[in-house]
Formats: sequence, C-alpha cells, structure tokens
Amino acid sequence: MAGPARPAEERDRIVLRLYEQLLEIEQRLIPTGMHVFGRPNAQTERGDMLRMIASFDRPEVGFRSLPGQIAARLGFPEYQILMEESATCGERLLQRERVDAILRSAIEKLLAEDGGIEEAASLLAREASIPTEDSTGMLAFLNGLNRQLGTNSEVDELMRALRREYIEPGPGGDLVQNPKILPTGRNTHAVNPYAVPSHVAFQKSRDTIRRLLNRCLDERGRYPETIGMVIWGMDNIKTHGEGVAQALLLMGVVPKRDGMNRVTDVEIIPPETLGRPRIDVVFVLSGIFRDLFGATIELLDKAARQVAGLDEPPETNFLRKHVQQAQQEGLSWCDAATRLFSNAPGNYGTNVNFMVIGGHWDRAEQIGDLFVTRKCFAYGRGLEGDPAGTLMAKALSRVEVTYQNLDNAEIGITDVDHYFEYLGGLTQAVKQRTGERPATYVCDSLSPLVKIRSLNETVRLEVRTKLLNPKWYGGMLRHGFSGVAEIEHHVSNTFGWSATAGAVDDWIYSEIANTYVVDETMRNRLAELNPHATRSLAQRLLEAHGRGFWAAQENVLDHLHNALDKLEDHLEGVNRQA
Amino acid sequence: MKITVFYVGSSLLAPLKNAEREINRQCRLGLAVAAHNCTLRVPDAEWPAIERDIDDAAIVLIIHVTDNDNAARIVAALDRCRSRHRAVIAINCMRSLMVRTRLGKLEGMKLFNLWRERERGAIYRAVRDAGSWMGSYARARNREDKSTGGHKHSLLLKQMPSLLRLTPSIGILRDVKHYLTVFCYLLQPTPGNIRSLLLYTIRHYIPELAGCIHRIDAPENRPSTGIYHPDAASLFSSFEEYCAWYEGRPFDTGGHPRMDTNRAIGLLLTRPQIVSGACRHYDYLIRLLESEGLPVVPVLSTFMDNREACQEFLVDAQTNTPRVAQIVSLTGFSFVGGPAMNDSEAAVDYLKVLNRPFRSIVSLEMQRIEQWEESVIGLNPVQTAMQVAIPEIDGATEPFVFGGLAAGKDEPEAIEERCERVVRRLVRWDRLRLAPRSERRLAFIVYCFPPDKGNLGTAAELDVFPSIWDILRRLQTDGYRVDVPETPDTLRGLLLGANSGLVPAGEHLASVAYRMPVEEYYHSCPYVREIEEEWGSAPGRINAHGRDLLIHGVQLKNVFLGVQPTFGYEGDPMRMMMAKNGTPHHGFMAFYLYLENIFRADALIHVGTHGALEFMPGKQTGLSGCCWPDRLIREFPNIYIYSVNNPSEGSVAKRRSYAELVSYLTPPIENAGLYRDLAALKELISNYRQVQDETQKEQLFVSIKEKARDLNLELKVS
Repeated sequence: MAGPARPAEERDRIVLRLYEQLLEIEQRLIPTGMHVFGRPNAQTERGDMLRMIASFDRPEVGFRSLPGQIAARLGFPEYQILMEESATCGERLLQRERVDAILRSAIEKLLAEDGGIEEAASLLAREASIPTEDSTGMLAFLNGLNRQLGTNSEVDELMRALRREYIEPGPGGDLVQNPKILPTGRNTHAVNPYAVPSHVAFQKSRDTIRRLLNRCLDERGRYPETIGMVIWGMDNIKTHGEGVAQALLLMGVVPKRDGMNRVTDVEIIPPETLGRPRIDVVFVLSGIFRDLFGATIELLDKAARQVAGLDEPPETNFLRKHVQQAQQEGLSWCDAATRLFSNAPGNYGTNVNFMVIGGHWDRAEQIGDLFVTRKCFAYGRGLEGDPAGTLMAKALSRVEVTYQNLDNAEIGITDVDHYFEYLGGLTQAVKQRTGERPATYVCDSLSPLVKIRSLNETVRLEVRTKLLNPKWYGGMLRHGFSGVAEIEHHVSNTFGWSATAGAVDDWIYSEIANTYVVDETMRNRLAELNPHATRSLAQRLLEAHGRGFWAAQENVLDHLHNALDKLEDHLEGVNRQA
Repeated sequence: MKITVFYVGSSLLAPLKNAEREINRQCRLGLAVAAHNCTLRVPDAEWPAIERDIDDAAIVLIIHVTDNDNAARIVAALDRCRSRHRAVIAINCMRSLMVRTRLGKLEGMKLFNLWRERERGAIYRAVRDAGSWMGSYARARNREDKSTGGHKHSLLLKQMPSLLRLTPSIGILRDVKHYLTVFCYLLQPTPGNIRSLLLYTIRHYIPELAGCIHRIDAPENRPSTGIYHPDAASLFSSFEEYCAWYEGRPFDTGGHPRMDTNRAIGLLLTRPQIVSGACRHYDYLIRLLESEGLPVVPVLSTFMDNREACQEFLVDAQTNTPRVAQIVSLTGFSFVGGPAMNDSEAAVDYLKVLNRPFRSIVSLEMQRIEQWEESVIGLNPVQTAMQVAIPEIDGATEPFVFGGLAAGKDEPEAIEERCERVVRRLVRWDRLRLAPRSERRLAFIVYCFPPDKGNLGTAAELDVFPSIWDILRRLQTDGYRVDVPETPDTLRGLLLGANSGLVPAGEHLASVAYRMPVEEYYHSCPYVREIEEEWGSAPGRINAHGRDLLIHGVQLKNVFLGVQPTFGYEGDPMRMMMAKNGTPHHGFMAFYLYLENIFRADALIHVGTHGALEFMPGKQTGLSGCCWPDRLIREFPNIYIYSVNNPSEGSVAKRRSYAELVSYLTPPIENAGLYRDLAALKELISNYRQVQDETQKEQLFVSIKEKARDLNLELKVS
C-alpha cells in the first residue's frame, strides 16, 4: 500500500533519527576481552577510550573536556547540545561530526609516537584555534594514562601482600569515570557515606531527573506519582551518590551538611522553586548498599518522612498523598511513611537470578513473589530490617515507573545477573500488584550526554553492541574457555530480561541463535573451547522458545536440537575419556 | 545538686562517675552527675529522662556534641528552663549549642564576637579558638589548607596555662578565664582534672556551696604523646627509654617476648582514654599480644595527625626504618585528620613509605557491648562510617570490634573473644612473613557459578586460569615450592578433573583433592548442630559422595588450587524461596576446615569477583564469633584479587571476610563500532546525506527503510 509521498523534511528526519541510533551503537564503549591478572591489557587501540576520557570535564585535574573546548572555539553550541540535537537537526549533526573528527585526529596524533602531545596540541590549535596552553594539560594527562596502561604491577603487589607489606588503597571504578583507579594492584576502598551525595553528583542529578521526568511526561502525559527505584552500592560509590541525589530530588529536597561537613539532613525545596509535584519514591536497596551506606539510609528515610509531613496539597506532594491514603486504610503514620526495603539482615540478593537461571519457576508470579519475600525488610531510623511484607506490597501497588542507574561500560545490564534480578524482579513484582507492567527506565551516564532509555531500548542497545557484535565476541573468544562461558552468561542474562520483564524482542533471540548455533563454524569453535558452556547456551535458547519468550522458526529449532545432540555425545565422550 | 553532662565517646563516663563519688565523700555536696552519651542520636524514648535532668540541673556541660537532632533537643530544653541554670558551658559543639553558653557575663554570641569587638588580646582569640577548634579544623581542611587545625590544637595545649595566669579576674574577663580553665581541664581529662572541673564550676557559679570546697588543683598536664604500657608506672618519652624498660622486665615470669622490630606490633591509642585511665580494653589487648609472642609498642596517638606519633616512636630516625612490623590503630579515626576530617592522601603518602600493613580496630562508642551482640546489623551506621569506612580510605584492614562499654559499666572493657580472634590473625600474618618461602603454603580459591563444568573459574572480567598460571610461575621464581603445569589450559584441565581417582570422573564438578569422612567433619566442626538445623545431617547432597564430603581442588606441592562451593540454595527451590538463609551448608564449611586442618594454609588467595563466603549470614560490619564469614575465614590471612570496578562488593569482602584487596584492571574498552548490515546502513545514510538529487534521495530512502526494518531499528520520529 503506497502512501502519499513524504515531504522531504519528514524523510530527512527519519534518516537523522536512524543515523542517531547507528551513532549510539557505534560509539558505545564495550569491553573487548578479558583481563589477565598482572598483564597490561593487550590492546592496540586505546584511542576510543582516551577520546571518551577526554570528553568529560576533569575538574579533579582542572581540565575542560576537549570536545567542549573544540565546540566552543568553533563557535558551536555546547557539545552536549550537539549530541542531543544531532538526532533532529542536520546542521548540528555536521557540527558534531566536525568536533568528533578533530578530536579523533588529535588523539591519533597523541598516540602516534614521540612528541605526540605537541603534535596533537598544534593540530587542535590549527583546526579549532585552541591555544596550546589550554589543551596540553588534558593531552599530557591522557598521555600519562596511556603510559600507565602499558605497565601492570598487580602480581608484584600480590607478592608484596604475601610479604605483609602495606598495600596502597585506591578508589574503585572504571577508567572513564575515574582515571585515578590506576595503578591497579591496590586495596580498593569505598566512600565515606557522610560525603554522599557530593556536590558534583547532586548537580549532575538535576539534569538526570529533569530528563527522567520529561520522558515520563512525554509518554504518559503526566508525572508518575510513584517511582520504584533500585539503589545499589556500586554506582553510588563510583558516582559519589548520584542515585541518592536523584532520589532526593524526586522527593524535592536537597542534602544539607552539618558543622563537620557531613550530609546528615535535608532541606525542602519550596514548591515554587520545585515547579512540579514531589514524587513518591519506593526504594529497593541492595544488601550491599544497606551495609555500606547505613548513614545514607537514615538520610533517605528522614527525607521521606519530612516530605510526608509537609502541609501541602495532594496534587503537589504525591508522597504525602499516599501516606495519608495509607493512614486512612489503617496504617500508622510510621508504617505508612516507610519507603526503604532491602534483604533480611545478614542476607543479600533477591535469588530471582537463581530462580531464573536454574529454571525453577512455572509462573511469572513466582518471580515477583520471591523478589518481595527476599526484599521486604524495612530499613531507616529505628528500623533494622523489620519484616514488612504487607507494607512493601502496598508500596509497590502504587508504583508506575521502575528505574535504575547504569554507570559503566564494563558492567552492563546483560553482563551480570544482578540487573535483571533487581530491576527485572522489581518490575515483575509491581506488575503483579498493579495489573500492568510499569514503564521501566534505565539512566545511562556513560557518555557526556545523560540518556534515559526504556528497558527495551537498553536491552536492544546492549545486545547489538555486545552479543551480536563480532568485535565483542571476537574479544571474548580470544580467551577461549572463559570467553565462551562469558558469552553463555550474556545469553542467560538476556533471557533473564524476558523472564522478569518481558523486555526482549523476538528478533534478538533469532539473531543470537544465528550467530552462535546456526553458524556451524562458530558452533564448532565454541564447542571445542568450552563444550559445557556451549551446551548451556543452546539449552537456554530452547528454553526461551519453550517458555514462549521467542517464537523460533522451525529450521532454527532443528539447528538447536541437532547442535545439542552433538554436544551431548561429545560431552559423554569427554567424560568417558577422563 | 545536679550537674548534667552531655559528652561523646567512651573516655569521660568513668572519670565523671568517679569524680561524683569522690566529691561526695570529701565535700558532702550531695552532688549528682547525670551523664548522657550524645555520640549517636539519642532515641526518642530516652529524652523525657534527659529533659528532666536538664530541668533540675544547676549546671549543664555540653562537650563535643555535633549531632543535629541531639543538639536541637538540648537547645529546646535549655531554653525552656533558662532561668534555673546557674551556668551552661558548651565546648566544641555546633554553633546552636555554643551560643547557649552562659557563664556570668559571658553568654551567647559573646563567645564568638568578643574577639571581633575588641581587637586586643590573645585571651579573646583563645576563647574563639577553644570554642571552635574542631569546626575550624574541618573548615581549614576543606579549604585544602592542611596545616592550621591540628597545629592550633597543640598550640592551645601549650599556651593556655600561661595565658590564664596572665589574665586578670575582672568583669567579663573573669568569666572568660573560667571558660578557658574548664576547657583546659577537658583537654586533659585525667580523673583528677575531671574532678577539679566539677569543683571549679561549682565554686565559681554556685557560690553558696563554695565554702564546702577546700581545694581545687590546677589543671594537671600529661605529655601530649608517649609510649604506654599497662605494666609501666608512667609514660615513656622515647622508644629507647621504653625498650630499656621492656627488655629489663623478667622474661621468664611475665612470659612476654623480646622487642623485635621485625615482629613488633605498633599500637595507636587514643590519648583521652589513657589520660582518663579508662583503658582496660587496651591493656587486655596488649597483654594478649604479648602472650601470643608478639612484642608491642603502644603509642599515644597524636589524634589529629598520627604521623607525628609514628615518626617519633615507631620509626628509627637515624636509619629511617620502622621499628614495628604491623600497625594497629585503636583510635578508630582517620590516620591524618582525626574525627573532623580525613586527609587520606597525606596518610597514604606516609604509610607507603613506612610500608607496614595498617589495621584499624574499633571500640564501641555508641552501643553497649550487649547491644552490639544482639544487633543484627553489628556496628552502628555512624561508627561504620566514621571508624570503618574512613580508615579504609587510608588503607586500613581487619575492621574488628575489640572493646566497648558493657551494660551498667562506666569503663570500656575488652571483648575477649574478638581480641583473641584479631590477635591470632596478627600472629598468622606474622608467621606468613617470617616462614621461609619454601615452606609457605598458599591456597588459591576459584569459583564456579552457576555450578557447571563450563563455568569453572567464574570471575567478573578476569580470565582466571592464565592469571593463576602467571602467579604460580612468579611464586616459583620467588622460591615458593609449587608445581607449575605446562600451560594455563593444562592447569584448568587438572582442576576440571582428569582425575585423582578419588571419585568416578565426570560425576563431579571438578577434581577431588580430598574426601573428608563425615566423622572427621563432625569432629572438627564446632558449629555442626547449627548447620544441621538448616541443612540436615552431614554430608547432605552438596559436595558429597557416599559418606564423605568432597573438597574440589588440586594440590601442586605447597599450593592448593580449590573450588569454593556455591551457596547451595541456588539449585534448591525450597531454600531459594526462604526470606533468610541461616548457615552455609556442610560442604562449604568442610572446604574451609580442609584448608585449616588438612592443607594447613598460611594464606588464602581468593581469585576474582566474587565468591560466596563474604555474603554468608551474620552482622554487616563488626562481626562477632557467631557470624558465618568469621567462622569460615577464621585466622587466615585473606588476600582477595578483586575487580577495581566493584568497590562495593569488594568492601563487603574487606569488612566481612577481613580481606586485603589487590585490585585488577578492567578489560580494554573500545567503541562497539558497526558490523554487517549496521555498517551497510550507515553507508547508505552517508550516501543519502551527500546526494542532492531528489530522485536519488528518494531511492536511497527506500533502501534505508528496508535495511532499517531488517535490522529492527526504530523508524518512528518522536
């Protein structure tokens, strides 16, 4: 059916939007291998990572981002704006490409050989009129990192530890976020919870929350009254509390420091300044966050109770509205305002990952129930993990949006089973209580432009850049046995998003099957390197089909069954030999 | 007549209560001292009693109170019965409390403004400094001006007595002088000074009772630093002096070891605790270390900056070498910066040069020992933040709770079982260092999750077998006795179970290094009854074969490479569904018993992020002997090869399994790039962007749409 010819503008917009999706995939940072303790990373190409490091302001070393400087000197809008508007405006795309190209050449020069810093600086001066004194600092910093990455003293440090020497402490994180993690071989530490959230984290979170709420508004036409938020220790340590800051902002409060410079209190943002309703937040805390951020738990609890106690109309203070509703239903004020849930004391995890990976469920409700069983212990002032199943169920029954932060390139939503056990488990638990799947968003702050994506978008991006990407699996396969195990884990974790949140498109499974099983060369290679993991992979795909997550084509299923039969024979042979 | 005191920490209560008794005996004043610990936010239920103590107090002393909530409630109570109080003295508190100070003519804002109003006089400056040194220290630190605060503190200590002598007792100056005198008593909270402090305030602000008081000693001065030993009559002012005394003690009777800088433990003690004599927990620990054969050098910490004390006593100035082999801080604060701030950069720079492991152990300041024992959380959040998280940034490990106040007691005491654990661990570290390399026995522990042969060596981002293989080769070079298989793959093959013949091949996850008969297990596991309650009788179904428990691993001379069992409930729908898990399974316990009793490891090296031990049930921080991670890791030095990208779970390992982390780098990262049809689509779009001709554009657009649909890309425009 041929529709009317699209006007050229509309056509251009579609193409731009597609192009943006391609750029997003192309420029995403992914791990391209595994680490071997004590060996410098076997990497010929450090340019991508250094470009990304150069793309963030580095207040800790006092340098402005290079793309930021280039854009400013060329008279373009800020680089973040270029990134954002290039999806809809051809001119911005050209400008963005110009900045990217200059940065790329500069980093190439830097890495070329001796004298790289001067060469790169003069290129930046020539192409973007950046005075050399404004660029050499950042360039020298990048050069230093590049050098550091060429060496590795992890084994030496291990030997020192065995000699009972002092192992230097160091921060944790990934290189892009915090280059100070180098050198490795150190005793990684967490952060002082009273320093959380930091000023920087709080400022950054303003933008994130604005984007999150805008996205909700765009899709729903109104603000969500309640957001279910997963809070982990990992990202909050590395970002110095962006997750915590975001939660405070949703409720419409700012952190307040005491005489000792500790964040121990909050200040209410007046309604006129806030300009939007206060959102009710239901917190699901990892057991690790609970352990490491006891003081922060008190802060969040205090914030929730203060907001609940404000004399404000229900339409501008959803938290208070819900607390009052719950009171009318017979809860005490104290119970009605309880918002923080985690594991029973001394316990960790939702076990949803065990249930899903082990295939120990028949109905999705079992997943949601397990999630609540494990996480329904209340924390806060005077609460040390008191059992609160009913309270949590009540709180979840109001959740319209589930949400979590993603903070680094190495640990994405299919790299570990923890994302689906938490965000997936929460989403399923909410669905059971509200009757519909909540909107689920993931905040991605891997690049200078913070993005809020739906869960489905995030799964697609993750799979396109990793599981289906020859560059990714090629890197894994270089590590043989462990690499195949890693590929299998990704397939299982992707499956986890089907099981918990129905967030995996059909084509994704088809493409996975095509890549790893239908392709005979690949299948044989996997089987040779790690037959057990290969068997698990094939079984997992069949399970996806069996559980109705994937309408596989007959011929693909045949491939899977055949492959599995061969693997079983092979493994039996292996066992007989041994 | 009542004096109500708000204080923090655990050193003041005993001197206050002793002073109360003694004053009543000598002067018959009918004095009641109501003392309230404000280190932590005081629970609501306790406030009515506290408020009554404020209501009927004649004098209120508020010392070091910085908690917002406590302060607000104290302020409200003070304001309510302002007229009844003869004197209110706030020292080193937050501003809202400081301005409640009322000593004769010195009141309210004058504490801060005097100095500004009158440009003259060190005395006014001293008031301001005394009132706010902690806060200004914190502020100075924030401004990156790293010298002023601690310096000011020691300056105050030195200058105050002469300043006081020169100040006349007239007008407001009289009250200023009193304020500073009280401050001086508090800076040195000896039992005598605390008694004098109480008497001093009574004499000057309750004149009708002054007649009963015959004598008040001037503030007595204790050295600001020195070496302490419970068996010595006084502090030592130099290491040489201490050593002469130490070596002079009869070795045969006391059973204490000789000084040996290659083994000695340097202890950093808090000064108020020593000065006030509330240090039985220190004494216990010191004697225990000595009875285990480790000599000790217990040093009075220089509070704001421990580098001074270390440099003076723990380092030989001539050779610039340390005199101790391990440093244990009992101060519970950051190494440089004290309670107010932490300058971890300075701390690390210093400790790096010293190159001795730094441990920080904690005395309970805000919970009674019984509360900690009963608490499911363990150490409370405030102490966890201030006394575990912050010292960790300096590189501290082994965060043990070793002492505290027992219910109804005024003075801290040792938690003997914890002291024994931490001391025995220090002994193990000592042995690890001193044993010849050829005799050291190391156990490498890898994971396999979910349990399947294909997952052997699970670790985030780490290729485990080449990693271990490299380490083994290095160990061999360094003189450890170890067999190194030909390649990383051979190593993995060995572990996978080209077998020992102990059990039929293929039936089990990995090679079996040892079959522990169930009788042996029952005999060597003291916790077996508790485990049985959850898992039934041994051997159970996990890591079991017949009547034996299986230890998966291979031995390569003095190196054992083992596979840690998994939680056990991951494949058990019934246990998986439980809200709480209570204990590890028998196989898990047996694995660590094997390492202790059969393999006899000198140190464990857990390989990669992450295992299950540190997530076993128990308190969060400040574990007790009833917590499972503590029972499993026992006294093993525990080195944990851990992803640098996971500081959170790594910190759990550090706190709950006493691990020393050695971080590993994350894998290389690169742009994902485009491939196959994605690359082709980009090509098409690039063409589209270049051509000007409308017809061509339209044709390209058709191809673009088609390709995009094939790729399942979003074609909608929002």
